[in-house]
Amino acid sequence: MAGALARVIQGTKSHLGIVGPLANINNVPKRFQNTEAPPAKSQYGPLSDCDRIFTNLYGRHDWRLSGALKRGDWYKTKEILNMGSDWIIGELKTSGLRGRGGAGFPTGMKWSFMNKPSDGRPKYLVVNADEGEPGTCKDREIMRHDPHKLVEGCLIAGRAIGARAAYIYIRGEFYNEASNLQVAIAEAYQAGLLGKNACSSGYDFDVFVHRGAGAYICGEETALIESIEGKQGKPRLKPPFPADIGLFGCPTTVNNVETIACSPTIVRRGGSWFASFGRTRNSGTKLFNISGHVNTPCTVEEEMSIPLKYLIERHAGGVIGGWENLLAIIPGGSSTPLMPKHVCETAIMDFDGLVACQSSLGTAAIIVMDKSTDIVKAIARLIMFYKHESCGQCTPCREGVSWMNKIMYRFVEGNASVKEIDMLWEISKQIEGHTICALGDGAAWPVQGLIRHFRPELERRMQAYACAYGPSRAERLY
Amino acid sequence: MAAKQAIQVGTKIVKPVLSTNHAEARLRVLSLYKAWYRQIPYIVKEFDIPKSENQCREKLKELFMTNKDVTDIRVIDLLVIKGQMELQESVNMWKQKGHIMAYFKPTEEPKPKGFLSKFFNSNE
Amino acid sequence: MLRQPLCRALALSSPARAVPLASRSYSNPVPAEPEKVEVFINDKPVYVAPGTTVLQAAAQVGVEIPRFCYHERLAVAGNCRMCLVEVERSPKPVAACAMPVMKGMRVKTDSDLTRKAREGVMEFLLVNHPLDCPICDQGGECDLQDQSMAFGSDRSRFTDVHFSGKRAVEDKDIGPLIKTIMTRCIHCTRCIRFASEVAGVDDFGTTGRGTDMQVGTYVEKMLLSELSGNVIDLCPVGALTSKPYSFAARPWETRRIDSVDVLDPLGSNIVVTTRTNEVLRILPRTNEEINEEWLSDKSRFACDGLKRQRLVTPMMTDSRGNLMPVDWEDAIVAAARALRDCPPNKLLAVAGDMADAESLVALKDLVNRLGSENTCTEQYFPLDGAGIDLRSSYLCNTKIANVEDADFVLLIGTNVRFEAPLLNARIRKAYVHKDTDVALIGPKVDLTYDYMHVGDSASVVKISPRGPEGSALLAYTQELACKLQDKLQDKEWKVLNVLQRTASQVAALDLGYQPGVGKALQDGPKVVYLLGADSGVVSRDQLPKDAFVIYQGHHGDAGAAMADVVLPGAAYTEKRATFVNAEGRAQQTLVAVAPPGMAREDWKIIRALSEVIGERLPYDNLDEVRDRLSEISPALVAYGDVQENNYFAQARALAQSLQKPVSGKLDVQLKHLEDFFMTDTISRASPTMAKCIQAVLKQKDSPY
Repeated sequence: MAGALARVIQGTKSHLGIVGPLANINNVPKRFQNTEAPPAKSQYGPLSDCDRIFTNLYGRHDWRLSGALKRGDWYKTKEILNMGSDWIIGELKTSGLRGRGGAGFPTGMKWSFMNKPSDGRPKYLVVNADEGEPGTCKDREIMRHDPHKLVEGCLIAGRAIGARAAYIYIRGEFYNEASNLQVAIAEAYQAGLLGKNACSSGYDFDVFVHRGAGAYICGEETALIESIEGKQGKPRLKPPFPADIGLFGCPTTVNNVETIACSPTIVRRGGSWFASFGRTRNSGTKLFNISGHVNTPCTVEEEMSIPLKYLIERHAGGVIGGWENLLAIIPGGSSTPLMPKHVCETAIMDFDGLVACQSSLGTAAIIVMDKSTDIVKAIARLIMFYKHESCGQCTPCREGVSWMNKIMYRFVEGNASVKEIDMLWEISKQIEGHTICALGDGAAWPVQGLIRHFRPELERRMQAYACAYGPSRAERLY
Repeated sequence: MAAKQAIQVGTKIVKPVLSTNHAEARLRVLSLYKAWYRQIPYIVKEFDIPKSENQCREKLKELFMTNKDVTDIRVIDLLVIKGQMELQESVNMWKQKGHIMAYFKPTEEPKPKGFLSKFFNSNE
Repeated sequence: MLRQPLCRALALSSPARAVPLASRSYSNPVPAEPEKVEVFINDKPVYVAPGTTVLQAAAQVGVEIPRFCYHERLAVAGNCRMCLVEVERSPKPVAACAMPVMKGMRVKTDSDLTRKAREGVMEFLLVNHPLDCPICDQGGECDLQDQSMAFGSDRSRFTDVHFSGKRAVEDKDIGPLIKTIMTRCIHCTRCIRFASEVAGVDDFGTTGRGTDMQVGTYVEKMLLSELSGNVIDLCPVGALTSKPYSFAARPWETRRIDSVDVLDPLGSNIVVTTRTNEVLRILPRTNEEINEEWLSDKSRFACDGLKRQRLVTPMMTDSRGNLMPVDWEDAIVAAARALRDCPPNKLLAVAGDMADAESLVALKDLVNRLGSENTCTEQYFPLDGAGIDLRSSYLCNTKIANVEDADFVLLIGTNVRFEAPLLNARIRKAYVHKDTDVALIGPKVDLTYDYMHVGDSASVVKISPRGPEGSALLAYTQELACKLQDKLQDKEWKVLNVLQRTASQVAALDLGYQPGVGKALQDGPKVVYLLGADSGVVSRDQLPKDAFVIYQGHHGDAGAAMADVVLPGAAYTEKRATFVNAEGRAQQTLVAVAPPGMAREDWKIIRALSEVIGERLPYDNLDEVRDRLSEISPALVAYGDVQENNYFAQARALAQSLQKPVSGKLDVQLKHLEDFFMTDTISRASPTMAKCIQAVLKQKDSPY
């Protein structure tokens, strides 16, 4: 529905090519068909239907092989595979695709790390389908409605990095998704698209599905590897990186589902096509999940660098009670710092744009909170989540996050000292960057966002508590 | 030899302690002896030692007689002074029973010498 | 050291004995040194091999980086985050224990960022750590205490302690040796890594996650390992402490004396901790050549046996046959009379498990002066062929440390795990880190690692020095070892290793004692002198009725029970004495406490006896005894050194004629963990060891 609407109202993307003062001259993608470079863009989105990668995002069509073939999946996959790994990686580099799992590492570069001369060990591709970040629901849509995109992506990515097999680590709670994916893989095997001599390209490739047991931390790449190996899902130390020593001690690349699933379309339509979306270094299309206090929560594929406000108003039907009723937005899944309304006005939804807003794109899961939200309680609930999901391996995360959780819940009541706000800030800084994996960072950032933007609210609560019950015990203790 | 001469020279010009001649020294010795002798009954009684007065007198004589061959007046004087001190300690009960009984200990036991005696007599 | 690829080149007749053989280059040629990398620690340049961690590089210039989880003998975990240091051009501080150095890396171990990171980690470690230092056994030797003083903050912000308290964790019961106070645990996982890597029992692990993470055995069970006590040393806090030592003493009250363990043949180096003439505990002392820094549970915990069942006064049997306390003079005179009146060929002296070289030489000299040659040890060893004439035939020639470099280990008729636990730990280390193959001929036992079980029949094997046909078996072993040696590239490598089972055996053999009492006992000795011989090899029913038994030793055990005269000696913590371990390394114990009661040093008793007999031995003090030792063999007083052994070929030649067919089965005494704990007089007297056996048996009954 949204896609159709886009075509009617805005026409195709090419109509939007208006030269703007902020145009990035350096970001001229290579065009092979057009002799003339298109004018640099200053407006991003909406995405036209013909440029969508995930054409069955809403499950209106057949998700099985026959439907996938109709949508163009598995089209000339053999030819793509036969172009060789350098060509595939080259296209990915041209496309500027950055990992869609949260960290945003350039995928082409990541794959090229695997191109070292073999030392006899097999290589593996691991697909991270352990989508556990609160607010994020993009990978499950791919897996239940377009699983062949992922399966084909595994094959192409596997060819690019020279992998022997792909392991798809799927979140345990995703029962239907896992089953659809398994069916898709079985279909692909039966059609000769996978297995020995996959797509009759002479390349052997297997895909395995591994279901997780429901730990958020297993979405961290090394914890995920440990979990596949049958151990406790606890992140490994880096270095050595998985590209050197990964799954079963072999070179491994871990990619997000969306990254893998969009790669076939990228190589099919050309890296430059993909690069034509979004700002420089933030190119491509992206699945945005909009949830919370919006009229029509949705998952939508959109162009990168789309303004946040425009995205919400266009696809999610706007904030409940109107834009003026907006309190704050968490732009990239629960682990990114929230942004208050005045920042949201101008925020650009891409990696650099959100970093400029002291937040992060993360998984592009937008959580909208209107003025009815108890923002302190909301963040406290997030911290409780992180406390519960911390693996307990390294000290700052194990001890620090539970400590933050205790403080946050006192802040919800206001039973705390104003001085403790600074203490909480310091504790979050003591966690951030001192842990083995990024879960500590992810737990620290929401707190930092809260203190950065809602300090007066915290102080107000403490004063209210002091008025009602007398000064907090913490006042005396600290 | 030279050392011996030096000692002889030294002794000739040395100052007396108390007595100037042998007779005077002898008098001091005798008076100390008498003082001890008279004190013996009290010592036996007050320290409650398992010795009779006669045994004590014998011991007193024995102890005095051990120094009978001392001729040097200065040495005699010093021994007398020490004896007076001991007497004073006994009279004033500064000593204890064991100190008195120590006079009756025949001699210090010799330290064991030789492997076997060491083995049997010490804890080595 | 680079290893040459395994070339399995041994061609033995039986396919069942496809023994892989390593071709190795041991010392030559030295592999090319990899290019050293220059790094800067606090602007101080240091050249280290690539792959070195920042922490190790810093240690080379004397900069100690604080750590909890890192331990040089265990895998790197990197989870305590205490070793975070600032590295130039790195946005975040890096964990020094896990970060390999890179060229030109500039590490700042004392910058503001580093200090703040440490302080933060320290604070987090203390948030949930109980403030029970005054009643904690680790107090005074606690890494957390020391490092919080050095790197922690000087004030507390733990307001939440007053709202929700600290975390409390239920204590675990993991056996009679280790006391757990799990609330104190800082989750460094050293114990887990030790258990799975070194001890080879995977019973330890973490359960739960986040704040609820707990270290423990998954189901409550005893830690079934002979090396479990080492986790006490490894634990940086007071979570795992010694149960027998609990609430006994503070480290600053005690005196520590370096010594050597005698409860197994390896001679592990130990520190004896004493207070008021009482041995409180025994700790390992680092010696890379022998025990690294580990110690077996028996060596560590049997020390409470030193206070029980002791012989504190000389004793003689009275008219009714009961042993009654007597003076030294009476006992010595009685013993001397018996010895003097005994016909030389009817005199037998037997040395036990823990006899030191000084008393051994004194006893042998005395017996020889009395005209007898009957000095024996309790442990059997074949005498035919080269026998004990060549030192290489009865020693661990490879040396203990070099076991790690072996490519293949063949164990014959031994359960190394319980006979020499730390040697087994070495083999396991080789197995884990170097993919060493191990094969075992003998009864199937749990060695904590996988091995190829070749069988337990001597006839299949044809080799074993301990079986009924010992000589032939040793001959076959020598033959096999020489064959193997011929095929090695590295001619320096010794193939044949014999693991003696007791601490006294090597010194006794060096001094010329006959191994085993069999023949001498059959002759019906009139006077038997037992020097700590308690293993039951000599018993009353084997002796003639009128035999006179003199027992000299420190514990009232089998030997003292059958004696007519008992002469109380000193245990290994009470004398300065020489012991030679299984590889032929002489080491000395030092006096930690005085012998109890009227007990005397052992060689002095024999020396005194000799004088009473009228055959005065010509040494009056320890130095003179050791001069006598060095006359016999300089190796006996070359403390800490091992002599290279040789003459393997000659031993083989002498043994050629003994290669007769053998039959029967190979067996070992110590098969299970419960057998391990009580093997000698000290451990038999130890209540802790008794508890261990009870606990192991109980554990074996439990379903887990």
